[in-house]
Amino acid sequence: MSDVPFKNPGWAGNTGEFELDEATVRGDEFVGERPLSGGHPSGAATYPYMLPDKDPEAPLFEGPFKERFEKILSQYPTKRAAVMPALGLAQEVRGHVSPEAMDRVAELLDLAPAYVRGVATFYTMYNKRPVGRFLVQVCTNISCNLCGADDVLEAFLRYTDTDLGETSEDGNFTVVEAECLAACGFPTCVQINSRYYENVTPSSVPEIIEHLKATAPDGSGAAD
Amino acid sequence: MAYPYVSDREVRILSRNFGDPLARRIETYVERGGYSALKKAFEMGPDAVTEEVKASGLRGRGGAGFPTGVKWSFMPKEPTKPHYLLCNADESEPGTFKDRELLRWDPHGVIEGVLIAAFAIRAKQAYIYCRGEFFETTQILAKALEDAYSAGWAGKDIQGSGIDIDVTIHVGGGAYICGEETGLMNSLEGRRGQPRVKPPFPAAVGAFGMPSTVNNVETLASVPHIVNHGGAWYREHGTEKSPGTKLFCVSGHVNKPGNYELPLGFPLMDLINDVCGGVRDGHALKAVIPGGSSVPILTAEECEGCTLDYEGVQAAGSMLGCASVIVMDETTDIVKQVRRMVQFYAHESCGQCTPCREGTGWMTQILRRIEEGRGTEEDLDTLLDMSRQMTGTTICVLSDSAAAPVVSSIHKFKDEYLALVRRGERVGAA
Repeated sequence: MSDVPFKNPGWAGNTGEFELDEATVRGDEFVGERPLSGGHPSGAATYPYMLPDKDPEAPLFEGPFKERFEKILSQYPTKRAAVMPALGLAQEVRGHVSPEAMDRVAELLDLAPAYVRGVATFYTMYNKRPVGRFLVQVCTNISCNLCGADDVLEAFLRYTDTDLGETSEDGNFTVVEAECLAACGFPTCVQINSRYYENVTPSSVPEIIEHLKATAPDGSGAAD
Repeated sequence: MAYPYVSDREVRILSRNFGDPLARRIETYVERGGYSALKKAFEMGPDAVTEEVKASGLRGRGGAGFPTGVKWSFMPKEPTKPHYLLCNADESEPGTFKDRELLRWDPHGVIEGVLIAAFAIRAKQAYIYCRGEFFETTQILAKALEDAYSAGWAGKDIQGSGIDIDVTIHVGGGAYICGEETGLMNSLEGRRGQPRVKPPFPAAVGAFGMPSTVNNVETLASVPHIVNHGGAWYREHGTEKSPGTKLFCVSGHVNKPGNYELPLGFPLMDLINDVCGGVRDGHALKAVIPGGSSVPILTAEECEGCTLDYEGVQAAGSMLGCASVIVMDETTDIVKQVRRMVQFYAHESCGQCTPCREGTGWMTQILRRIEEGRGTEEDLDTLLDMSRQMTGTTICVLSDSAAAPVVSSIHKFKDEYLALVRRGERVGAA
């Protein structure tokens, strides 16, 4: 991540008094590459990052993901408690939780399919329909809003040429409004996939979008 | 190596590792005396630890300010069932950003606090309920926890003491209401995160039907320091009724927003003008929300002389909550910001109780109508009437939280509402 072409002014401030590089601040080096099977069971539900290359047809709970699913089951006294981590795992592989994926979770955990859908629809982070490679969530709650979050949201919509909640034609971006992301001291905060971008202003939006396009798995936009 | 925002008036106890990436590493943490409090706690025994925390006067940092030691003492002394410790890291209150900083800069400090608390309440299993959006933060915490397991500081037979405590990270799904303790327990159990009716209280019937205690990240991060140095030491900072230091999250229209660790009882105006470098661009102060979006708004006059402790903020007419100070300057459109806050509550209402489910939605619509110049003066009465019906009538306090900024802003900034209403009426007449 250290070759990111722009600094994260949110973290370091614009004053230059803070000399850590971005990778260090984000802990990338400390965390390292995580195994798909999830490492120690205590953190099995947290690995790895939310990835841009999503395959809606990928098999669920197989190979390393089966191992991780087993670890998750071992963490709780009831099977039901594994429903959220299991949905998270399905989303990690496929990018969203389809009705079919929810049914599979229900089957594995001996729950009614309707129950699992009830849980999945309660939580906003489970995408009930496919999203773009980059899910852009712009916080527009009070602290960011005071510092111009509405303009940042509009800039993202303009530069990705999408409507709120819709996916751009090249399949790269879905822009949505988010509730407070708990980074209120670094407004505006934007979460793109698993990463927080802090102190985003409308003028930094084109740069962020170019950077994301360059890192898109299919390389779209890498040449220009 | 300075954290981006520091002030010489800070007392850096919890935030001592902010900006220091070495502190994440277990070798450094142990070298600097980390996990010594856990060892000491094992020697003291659960009841002595609870008594020490009681003596420190530490109050829950999640918003309610309930004394932590007292909460722990509600747990059964002779366990007949499994006990659970739940660490609430579902930080989502608008304006709050302290737990994320603690977790990513001092993960071992939090883990040590979790282990000590679990020991004190005789739990063999602890869950850290991390907010789902915190991917990076959770990864850092998970790596630290893995290191703690490898080094024998967590899991079976910790450091040869014969004590077993497992710690598991549970990742949330993006619901504000899961920060409410009973909502959190439901969510952990794999249900929708809807709060439960109390009583029974979590200490009797909690997660998985077993006795449980829920503590905030910042509360637990304070515990190792109290165990190491004693309750009397902790009382050296802060006030008689609100001892210790607290992380203040300052956001909005100030020159240097950020996290500042200050003793409780610190003057609010000093925080804004001195520590945070004043209101941005030399503008005048208009209003302050002192404890996150769920508490009443204070006007600039009310901020004068207000001290930041649980009692001081209450005396000024608001609540300290989780000490998330949102500063608004004279350019702020109060009606718009109140609408934005209520819209948040409408989005996050779990839908169990009618006053909240319907009320938050209706309020958003009415406020939007006023904002767009289509409101009437009667709308203000309707809002106040709805606020009355939404306060104290629901299972949890989300509905009360939505009503608080509406009521306080209508009382304190009525002119702004009226100006919008009258402008609308003029346009309508023309």
